[in-house]
Amino acid sequence: MAATQNLSDSDQSSVSDQSVSSRSGNRSIRVAEKERRKNEAEDPFVLSLKYFSDVEAGTPFHGNDKLEKNLVQVEKVAYSQGLPPEAVSIMLEFAMSLRMGTSACVRVLKCLIPASVVPQEAVVRAVVWLSIGKMPISTQVLFIKWVLTVFDMIDAKDQLRAIYGFIFNFVTDENLCPFICHLLYLLTRKESVRVFRVRKLLELQSKLGRQPFLLHLLSLYKVFCPELVTLSIPSRMKSGFKNHISPWKSALIAVQKRNGLQGAFSNSLVFTHKDKTNPRKRKHCHLEFPDLIPALNKEARSEQSSSRRVVPLVQLHSFAQLLENMHRIELPAQMGSLLGSSLALQYLDCVQDESALLRLNFWLGYAFHEEFLFCGDGGPSQTSEEALQFLNKLLSAQHFLQEGFSSSEVFLYKFLNVWDGSLLRPQILGLLSNIPVVPSSQIRRLLFEPLMQLFFTSSLFFKCGLMECLNNMLLKWLTWHSIYALEDDLDISLNSHTSINMTLSGFKDSVMELIHFVGRLASVGLQLEGCHCLLLSFVLDFYETVCDTFLKYGLPLIVMPPAGVFYPALFATDPVSVDRLAYIMHRYKVNLTSAKSQEKVTEQVFHISRQTFREFNHYVVVMVNCLWNSRMFHPGMGVQLGEELLLKSNVSQYGSSFDLVHHPAFMSYAVNFHQKCWPGKKDMDLNSIKHSKPWSWYLEYLFTQGYDGLKHFVQSNISWQLKEDDGQGDAQQR
Amino acid sequence: MGSMDNTAKRLLQRLVRRIPSQMLKTTLDKWSRLTAAQRQSMDYTESKWALTEKLLAICEENELTVKHIAELEMIHVIENPNLGMWYVFQLMDPQDDAHSVELTQFKEQFKSHLSELIRHVSIKIKKHTDEAVWIRIAWGDTFSRPNHLKPTYVVHYLQTPYVFLTSPTSKQKPLLSQALVLSTRYQAIKDANLSGRKLTAIRDLLMKQYLQVFPTKFPSPLAERNCVVSNLHIEKEQAGSAANRHQMACEAFGDGILPQLQSAVYKLETKFRDHTNKTMTERDEPFKCVVKFASTNLLESLRHSASSGVASTPVTPLLSSVPLKGKNYFVITDNGPGPSSQMKPSQK
Amino acid sequence: MSLLKPFSKLPGLNTANILLVESEEQFQQSLADALVEETSVTVNVRLAKSLPLPMENDESRPRIDLVVFIINLTSELSFQSAEASLKYLDPGYFLGKVCFMVTNARNASSPAERLDAVRKLASSLHCPLLFAEDQTPDGVASATERLLTILKVAAGLVPIATALYVSNLTRCTLPLDIDLPSFD
Repeated sequence: MAATQNLSDSDQSSVSDQSVSSRSGNRSIRVAEKERRKNEAEDPFVLSLKYFSDVEAGTPFHGNDKLEKNLVQVEKVAYSQGLPPEAVSIMLEFAMSLRMGTSACVRVLKCLIPASVVPQEAVVRAVVWLSIGKMPISTQVLFIKWVLTVFDMIDAKDQLRAIYGFIFNFVTDENLCPFICHLLYLLTRKESVRVFRVRKLLELQSKLGRQPFLLHLLSLYKVFCPELVTLSIPSRMKSGFKNHISPWKSALIAVQKRNGLQGAFSNSLVFTHKDKTNPRKRKHCHLEFPDLIPALNKEARSEQSSSRRVVPLVQLHSFAQLLENMHRIELPAQMGSLLGSSLALQYLDCVQDESALLRLNFWLGYAFHEEFLFCGDGGPSQTSEEALQFLNKLLSAQHFLQEGFSSSEVFLYKFLNVWDGSLLRPQILGLLSNIPVVPSSQIRRLLFEPLMQLFFTSSLFFKCGLMECLNNMLLKWLTWHSIYALEDDLDISLNSHTSINMTLSGFKDSVMELIHFVGRLASVGLQLEGCHCLLLSFVLDFYETVCDTFLKYGLPLIVMPPAGVFYPALFATDPVSVDRLAYIMHRYKVNLTSAKSQEKVTEQVFHISRQTFREFNHYVVVMVNCLWNSRMFHPGMGVQLGEELLLKSNVSQYGSSFDLVHHPAFMSYAVNFHQKCWPGKKDMDLNSIKHSKPWSWYLEYLFTQGYDGLKHFVQSNISWQLKEDDGQGDAQQR
Repeated sequence: MGSMDNTAKRLLQRLVRRIPSQMLKTTLDKWSRLTAAQRQSMDYTESKWALTEKLLAICEENELTVKHIAELEMIHVIENPNLGMWYVFQLMDPQDDAHSVELTQFKEQFKSHLSELIRHVSIKIKKHTDEAVWIRIAWGDTFSRPNHLKPTYVVHYLQTPYVFLTSPTSKQKPLLSQALVLSTRYQAIKDANLSGRKLTAIRDLLMKQYLQVFPTKFPSPLAERNCVVSNLHIEKEQAGSAANRHQMACEAFGDGILPQLQSAVYKLETKFRDHTNKTMTERDEPFKCVVKFASTNLLESLRHSASSGVASTPVTPLLSSVPLKGKNYFVITDNGPGPSSQMKPSQK
Repeated sequence: MSLLKPFSKLPGLNTANILLVESEEQFQQSLADALVEETSVTVNVRLAKSLPLPMENDESRPRIDLVVFIINLTSELSFQSAEASLKYLDPGYFLGKVCFMVTNARNASSPAERLDAVRKLASSLHCPLLFAEDQTPDGVASATERLLTILKVAAGLVPIATALYVSNLTRCTLPLDIDLPSFD
């Protein structure tokens, strides 16, 4: 209407347009404000809430139409969109004070569906009302169930933790005990574990029997303070805490769904996944990593956090923020969520917060146990995709932290004993390669025995996978050693978080056990698989790590490969394996010489046994005789055959059948070389390559083909001068 | 207050809660008490709570009473005969004209007989498409009006001796029995000792509506077919006995899909026999115990355990009596006929 | 009662014969179907619910190279049946030609004691104890592969490896009471 009036006065139109629009804008704000106030004053919901906050104790419940009207109003809001925090406070206060008796209380509790968060103060007050003790037990149980259901929607837990002891007192009530245990389980921190509480729980256990809820709480106590709880916890434990959500489930889901649709109002939405509505399940059962969920909604947070001075991890978005707030970080209720966030992992890594790790390990231990060792019915297939993601995420977390979690280690020791060798193989082998050093006294039964049974009954690919895994395990152990070993002290702490201390000799024993074990697996494995070149390649990978333990990782330990690995590699039909063996032997030599010279210089106690040198020399002699000197079956060599037998075989010049020219792996190169060298020659005589000049050319030719291992080996082991007639040098032995 | 009294409201509330959301629309459509516009105005995506409110308002508007709501309930129950517990009764000693009883006659007779026996009773009779007569009875007593919140459903197939009941109380059973016997032209009625959650299943079991297998000396065509299919390199060492077991299991329980029974109960009142336990064996009074087998499909479970060798074959009459006699409640005594069914304990 | 003997018959050329014993007759069928798919050797599978095997098949039955007892850990009957069948095997079989395969080991409804009992049985007989995931196709494929690995050795198809030699490496060992903490 304003616009049409202004049309008459055209030259002022633009100005007045503006003013009008601004004026009308102002007006609309004012109107809206007024409207809002009016609405608020008349909003039947607000009026109903007012009724409940003002109603006096002793007002009759039955036949009270006013109450009925107001209650229906609240229920309607609760079931349709959930109650805002203030409403939750008012209604909870009304219910728990029993101002209108128990039936009103029950009815109100049943409709307490929070829309966003539950104010902590309200819960604390309600707990206080609980202790007044006028309330029938079933109503008390209903209340605790409600608290458990909405636990993650409670905006902070500090005050609740402050009254831990107060809540603990309720465990003595037989009916409340299971629920109180669950609540305590969610609230427990290291400092809450006290001797008298442990004693009380044990006393209850002797009275009530080994109830799962008591066991679960005790096992959590044991995690925090193993010295206080001596009780042994059964390894196969039924899940202890039941799901209490039933009275609120459908309503919560409905509210959550509806709020989800109205995007603008749902920033404080807490229930994002459907399984999140179940506290127990979320804690132990579901492998889905919960997102880091802020316990507070945005507005509430800004005013509250300054007073409470704790910062939930989820609010931090950069490393700088993390550093600033390091001292007052509030861990999320669900420790599993830490694994999904790199910032949280950084926090774990630098804070070395023992209780955080303990809680994380506890959570992980349960997840492993329930999902992989103690599966319910319904088949393992249903969770396999979930399990896969869980393990992958865990692996990347371990990779990030560069160490394994102790719960995953414990899990592996159990799992290996029931593994079929194929289920989640890459992930399981990945976890296995992350385990910290196992003391040599236990390594056999914990690792070697189950692995050996799996190795020899499984396919080639499993064998290769396990070889790779054990190589990675060795690499990690050696890396830990090179990082944590102290120069002046032999004691090394292998794991930054756990306090496993191991002496250097203990560590050496474990490494040696591992290397010998792989040697055994490799020898027999190669034999069973007909020296399959794929397996051989993985075995040689392992020995590439082993031959360099001294120089690369500073571990004074040198272990030679067994004959079962050496000979298959030497006589392999592919040149790459022979070349890699030559490289490995070259590195052994470099390590041994350097160890020997260091021994002389520093007069250190460490000592490499004569036997190792003898083995090495023997292998070098065999290699040189075989590849270079054409003295394959000479006495004193590893492979010995009777003279008559060799003659019977009708192989002329059997001694030279594995030299660099006739070795099946290199024969094709020799032929190729021959053709290039004497293009016109009709009949091929490979022996002619062995003459001094062509021999040196042939070697050059092989080296240009990329056989660096051979090159190093020849250079470091064979002193070789060109002679006129016979161009072969001799092995130089130490 | 409108036509809807408290009972009607509660009945409607309960009904809406019980009917799954996705079935609510079809059920209401069948009811035909709402106008097309009213049916259009229902938004089935809303919560049950809101839907109930809406329906209550419409019912008020249409001045519907508890009887109309009872109709809606009946529609729901007829559509879902496999909810709730059904008990079977068997009519005995038919009179000469028992086979000529037809629907209208039965309806009239039943109503008049039952109303004669009890003053406050509300009876609704409907014929379903499959020849079944559905009766809904809301009971009152001398002083109170019929309670529509706890009705009894009776299903009877005319010209058969079987009657299926839900939740009859001991007070109502004699009245109902008498009305049934008189209106069907039989002389007596007895408990058939069969009950289950699925009306269709127990009906099929009684009327032998499943694939039965009879003993034969000739190899079954089934076994031959198996031989052809299986791989040359796979041989079953005990194929003969397996086929034999399967045959015997099918003879006892039937082939193909079997009626879904949920349980079989054996009440044992026999002497305790165990030569290692003298004190118990020497006692004179029988050892009482109840054995209950439960499964989602009991007969298939029993057949499977017999054919897989978990239960011994030939199948003990204790188990094979379930389909054979159409019972799933047995009382087993040592001597003399038991109160409901007598059976010799089988040799194990 | 006749014993099943490992060397009473001549071996077939490039042939391996395996006997799967399972009281529930469930898993053996899917294993058998997968086993006969092997192409490098001819695999004959005999299925039995329990031992002894019926006499009338003695003639047609080839030499059995490997006997596998399949035990479902959730069922006591399954274990008892396998245990009872053992006595119908010639002692010669226990030199590397018998193995146990366990299913449902990770199931909550299989008691730990039963697994211990199976372990004890297998280790006292010096036999390998394999675990299998019978519910998934991958699990069946893997179980088949592992049985073939053992079968080929037992049938003498792997050069320089004998059944006794390999079973010495793979036989079940009784874990000394591992006192692992539950999950801390």
